[in-house]
Amino acid sequence: MPGVVLEDVTKVFPGGTVAVDQLSLEIADGEFVILVGPSGCGKTTALRMIAGLERPTTGTIRIGGGVVNEISPRDRDIAMVFQNYALYPHMTVYRNLAYPLRQRRMPRRDIDKRVREVAEMLSLEDLLKRRPAQLSGGQRQRVAMGRALVREPDVFLLDEPLSNLDAKLRVQMRAGLKRLHTRLGITTVYVTHDQVEAMTLGERIAVLSDGKLQQLGPPQEVYDRPANVFVAGFIGSPPMNLLRGAARGGRVTAGQLVLERPGVPDGDVVVGLRPESMRTAVDGMPAVDFRVDVVEPLGDEVIVHGALAAELIAVDTAANDAQVGSLNGSGIEAVARLDPRHRPAEGTTIRLGIETTEVHLFDAATGLAIR
Amino acid sequence: MTAPRLLPVETPPEKPRRRLPFSPRHLFLMPVAAIMLVPLLWMVILSLETEVQARSFPPVLIPSGLHFANYPAAWNAVPFGDFFLNSTIYALSTVAGNLLFCSLAAYAFARLRFVGSNLLFIVFLATLMVPYQVLLIPTFLIVKKLGMVDSVGGLIAPNLCSAFGVFMLRQFFRTLPIELEEAARIDGTSRLGILFRIVLPLSLPALATLGIIQFMWSWNDFLWPLIIIDTANHAPLQLGLSMLQGAHSTQWNLLMAGTVMSQIPMLAIFLFAQRWFIRSIAFTGIKQ
Amino acid sequence: MGLERPPAWKRILGSEHLAGWAFVMPAFILIGIFALVPIGWSLILSLQNNNLLAPGHYVGFANYRALAKDPAFRSAVGHTLVYTVLFVPISVVGALGLAVALNRKIRGIRFYRLAVFVPLVTSTVATGIVFLWLLDPTFGLFNYILHAVGLPQQQFLQDPNQALYCIVAMTVWGWLGFDVIVYLAALQGIPDELLEASKIDGASSWRTFRSVVVPLLGPATLFLVVWSTINALQLFDEIYVTTRGGPLGSTTVIVYYLYEQAFQFFNGGYGAAVAYVLFLGILIVTLVQLLVGRRTVYYRS
Repeated sequence: MPGVVLEDVTKVFPGGTVAVDQLSLEIADGEFVILVGPSGCGKTTALRMIAGLERPTTGTIRIGGGVVNEISPRDRDIAMVFQNYALYPHMTVYRNLAYPLRQRRMPRRDIDKRVREVAEMLSLEDLLKRRPAQLSGGQRQRVAMGRALVREPDVFLLDEPLSNLDAKLRVQMRAGLKRLHTRLGITTVYVTHDQVEAMTLGERIAVLSDGKLQQLGPPQEVYDRPANVFVAGFIGSPPMNLLRGAARGGRVTAGQLVLERPGVPDGDVVVGLRPESMRTAVDGMPAVDFRVDVVEPLGDEVIVHGALAAELIAVDTAANDAQVGSLNGSGIEAVARLDPRHRPAEGTTIRLGIETTEVHLFDAATGLAIR
Repeated sequence: MTAPRLLPVETPPEKPRRRLPFSPRHLFLMPVAAIMLVPLLWMVILSLETEVQARSFPPVLIPSGLHFANYPAAWNAVPFGDFFLNSTIYALSTVAGNLLFCSLAAYAFARLRFVGSNLLFIVFLATLMVPYQVLLIPTFLIVKKLGMVDSVGGLIAPNLCSAFGVFMLRQFFRTLPIELEEAARIDGTSRLGILFRIVLPLSLPALATLGIIQFMWSWNDFLWPLIIIDTANHAPLQLGLSMLQGAHSTQWNLLMAGTVMSQIPMLAIFLFAQRWFIRSIAFTGIKQ
Repeated sequence: MGLERPPAWKRILGSEHLAGWAFVMPAFILIGIFALVPIGWSLILSLQNNNLLAPGHYVGFANYRALAKDPAFRSAVGHTLVYTVLFVPISVVGALGLAVALNRKIRGIRFYRLAVFVPLVTSTVATGIVFLWLLDPTFGLFNYILHAVGLPQQQFLQDPNQALYCIVAMTVWGWLGFDVIVYLAALQGIPDELLEASKIDGASSWRTFRSVVVPLLGPATLFLVVWSTINALQLFDEIYVTTRGGPLGSTTVIVYYLYEQAFQFFNGGYGAAVAYVLFLGILIVTLVQLLVGRRTVYYRS
């Protein structure tokens, strides 16, 4: 079954950079998996290794059960959509689409039939005679996808295909991609740095940082139960508020916030509060003072930025560090999403509470979630 | 316009089991490099041999001793000192002239609006289409009329300003953001001041390119000096070299020593300023 | 107090028209005297019988008619064309192959590149002199190599049937670096992604080269073909230094013929006519090449 399996794949570039570190991943046949993470996390390198454009330093890559490490890209039956589309500028759309088929020496009539099929699927019929330079960004993107699909590959690889499009187009294309996948059912590996894309498109998402796999799972699970501080801080917009705290005898204290968590081992912890989990405090809830600095009314909700009576820390997602880095309190603001009916005024201090069950706890030393 | 990177960027995926410990490209590139360098190598070898050795068969690869005496002999056989001096004056003058006059004209075409500018520019461009052999005879007559035959001045005068330079600099000036010049104008700078204080400092790459191209052209020029110069003392280097050849055509060791001496400056400049050279040459190709 | 309009004389003096002409004046004078005037004068000369010493007298198109019938001129044209037809393809195709080979980051690549570029820096005179020795029928290196592999000795530059081809070899050696530089720069301009996409699309290296690289090098190729052709048609220096047009006139090319006529036999008018015919030839050839190029070459915007 043409699934894709990476076993302990490591890639070290000459010069010593470890781009991918012991990555193990199993993608089922027909699944749509997204590799997401900040730039430099190794996701594109992993994709290129699946494509055969880079060779793993150690580890095995299997496509359809067979090991492909030694097999060149053209023999792997994969197709790739590049970030910049890589359309042949001197060929018409038709010839761009036909190119992969001509390499396989298909008879001309079959090529023509297939090209027109794909063109129709992607609404490109009217553009067949044009050159890439005469197309808009969205049209070029569809041609790039068409060129990949025309061969009916076993695996479909996409490297940040939507990042060059404007916001509105991106939303449209996301839906289009999803429809395409449902219709064709090709195993798809998709790389992006945009966690919104990851959440909306993937059947499972793999969060990478610093070359290592941080968490693999369905989007909702990764969101609801992040495996470590990095994933917690990376997935979710606005990002999770992370507080420095300490656990002692089953009680966790983070600044003003106090919660009971029997069974939690003593030590330094990080407390995570999602902005939407915070609400006007009610008796019995763990609560903390929040001084409101900025209020952003969005119609259906209100986003407030401000300072918490607790020490906030940040996970430096740009530096790819899953460890807890700390920028002391000043400079990091807390964010909460509140009901618009209870909109606070700027400059006031309100008391926000959170259900104990919605609090995320992480070990400060390892960054791993404490359940 | 950014200069093209000529250092390779592509690193191929490591090939499986290589049969050789090195890339097979070396097998192709080595002989090619040898072919390109062998003539120059022999030029040096012959310059260090005796006259007899230089004419012996089989050719002597390693001379019995290093006959450096060939060099002073060649230097004195013809006025080499004068050759170098004349070439230097010729090259530097034409470079200076071109940089100055072409800048002035190019700036006018690029930024100033004056009556007849379009027509004049087209006329300049049209001269580029005409091969210089057409200009040769009349230019000779003109230089003769000006009394500059057989002098370095006669070499320099026709080459003080080239339409090519005007064209190239105009194209470049137009790529500079005009806001800088406008700001200077508001600050009260004269047009000449704008050119010299703002535009030219920002145009160093283009000026360097023009300078190098013109320098190389003047330094290696042969046909025009051949026509204009009669006296050895007034000859520039390449003409001088051919004079050496004319007088001592069978004394290969001497001749090669002279040749080596005449090529050293250009080779040295090239080795030190490789990037600029390569950039300049690539520039002429990319512009098309 | 408002700003007053400056007096007329001040307006004209400070006007852009005056400034423009002032800036352009040196170039205008120099190019006028040394390019524009000669272009016209050359035409006039070509209609005269002029020995460059005394003023000439008009003979109408006699020079051109004589050229058309002149066997020496005809063979000069022939030699020039043979030379061009050999020089241009060899150097352009050779440079392409070299540039592709040099476009990698293997050890020593800098050395190889330098080796390819250095001949470009040597002057035409030096090239001629060195090759005169290399091709010497008695003690030259090339004859030695032939001798070492058992082939007969050649007369090379002293053989009327071989001399022109020797000139081709010599000039290709001297100018190859220029073409390589241009091609290398153009190759760098091709995004790696296109080559990768082609690989993924299933194309072999050769196929990728043919279908993707070569078409995208179109503009560079067109430039090199036009440029090389124009230069080839103007060949002179190497001929003067090595063969002086011989042996038996077999290496007399158009410009050399011009030189002989104008500056050795003092047929100034005749020489000017040769120059104008050359001009016309270059113009036509270039136009044809550009027209063909426009149709076949793809330009990236």
